[in-house]
Amino acid sequence: MQPAAVHKPATAMIQIDHVSQMFQTSARQDHLALSDISLSVANGAFVSILGPSGCGKSTLLYIVGGFVQPTKGIARMKGEAIRGPGPDRGPVFQEFALFPWKTVLGNVMYGPRQQGVKHAEAEAQSRALLEMVGLKGFENFYPKELSGGMKQRVALARTLAYHPEVLLMDEPFGALDAHTRTRLQNDLLNIWERDRKTVLFVTHSVEEAVFLSDKVVMMTPSPGRIRQIVDIDLPRPRRRAELLLDPRYQKYVVEIERMFDDSGELQP
Amino acid sequence: MMRRVAPCLACIGLLLVWQLASLALNNDSFPTALEAIRAIPAVLGDKDSLVNFGASLRRMTIGFSVALAVSIPLGLLMGRSRAVASFFNPLLMVIYPVPKAALMPIIMLWLGVGDLSKTLVIFLGVSLPVIYHSFEGAKAVEEKMLWSGAAMGLSAIQRLVRIVLPAALPEILTGCRTGLVLALITMITSEMIARQSGAGNILFNALDMGQYDTVFAMIIIVGAMGIGLDALFERLRARLVRWAEPQFDIPLSFS
Repeated sequence: MQPAAVHKPATAMIQIDHVSQMFQTSARQDHLALSDISLSVANGAFVSILGPSGCGKSTLLYIVGGFVQPTKGIARMKGEAIRGPGPDRGPVFQEFALFPWKTVLGNVMYGPRQQGVKHAEAEAQSRALLEMVGLKGFENFYPKELSGGMKQRVALARTLAYHPEVLLMDEPFGALDAHTRTRLQNDLLNIWERDRKTVLFVTHSVEEAVFLSDKVVMMTPSPGRIRQIVDIDLPRPRRRAELLLDPRYQKYVVEIERMFDDSGELQP
Repeated sequence: MMRRVAPCLACIGLLLVWQLASLALNNDSFPTALEAIRAIPAVLGDKDSLVNFGASLRRMTIGFSVALAVSIPLGLLMGRSRAVASFFNPLLMVIYPVPKAALMPIIMLWLGVGDLSKTLVIFLGVSLPVIYHSFEGAKAVEEKMLWSGAAMGLSAIQRLVRIVLPAALPEILTGCRTGLVLALITMITSEMIARQSGAGNILFNALDMGQYDTVFAMIIIVGAMGIGLDALFERLRARLVRWAEPQFDIPLSFS
């Protein structure tokens, strides 16, 4: 197990220091969702947070996003305390959260336009992004006319469009069927391997975490604590067909699953 | 085909029942449908009554517009802020069950029998459903949608105007549609209480003078106005929210 990171060198993109999160339940009882989390994410790293549902892994992501204020502790982005949401951290949610009154193109253009990019330029960039996520020809569709997988592609393009330095992905493929899910995992890796943005990726799938990540942060169930951080030492670019046959990949998956099993805790 | 013809059949059926009932009862104060329809051109051809209709429609338009301008922002704010909601909720709960026309005599004492009183009553009648639906619409806006906007750099006010308002629009327009019908109802009742001008004035003057064919002609005209306005509004609504999920389709309309 790695020691709790206190102050890593300046290369850390995201630094989480002794963060705890308390909630009030509907019965007005205090519920500790996250307990004393310290974590450092290096620039350009793909880090997954893996844990059973209810372990507070999404909450941790929301704290980094600035959507939720931690009860205790502090999260920093490039050394600066995170006080609220900002375009340097782009979220992608399981629920897609697209703007239904905007077309596909309108959704993707929304961020750049908000940042003051000229209309023609924003449109050109957005069209290129939509082509990259495989949605050429769907620019004028409304979200309700798209499948779940297509919606998530739009959501990814919409977030990439305003060039966040960190992608915050909250179980982005959790609502999709298995086939769509693997395709999107492959596409995400292809896109990521081009520009290597820092990614914080929340999931409850061991295979997904190992396949995508440089580091897997294993969480305990409620209250969420960091149980262990596993470095995934697999070559990149990763190709699914090769990786599934790779004994090193299989070993990571089995080891992580076994660690969850042995603890007698709920499986992720 | 049947869907298009059905509403016409219903109207013809209603008139037929009316005609038969009137013939069977043979009562002076219950003219036949034909007599009522025959009185319509006389009402619409009269210059005075057109002036009255104009005055009614003007008050209705002003009352309705001002109500939307106030109620939509208020409802949206209530839907997004617990503090605003708990401040206005008790006030609205007090006003809600009161028939707005019942306030008319008091309002007349303060503001006279002129346009202001009547427009105010229309305003009150329209406001509540619009506030309620705007509130519900704003409350239902997905948190993650607002977070996505916040990450793009939208301020709280920008989020309210550029995310909450369009996201809640289908629900807001449902409230506006109810409000439109209520505007027509309160318009007529306010003119019934403060007789001075307007469509309600024609109707109740005719009633006083025993001109029952005119009374029923007016009922038909006001009813047709209601259907026409509603159909027009429904067209506009369908255009504004064609992006919305179909659960907001309201099939009950003549559009």
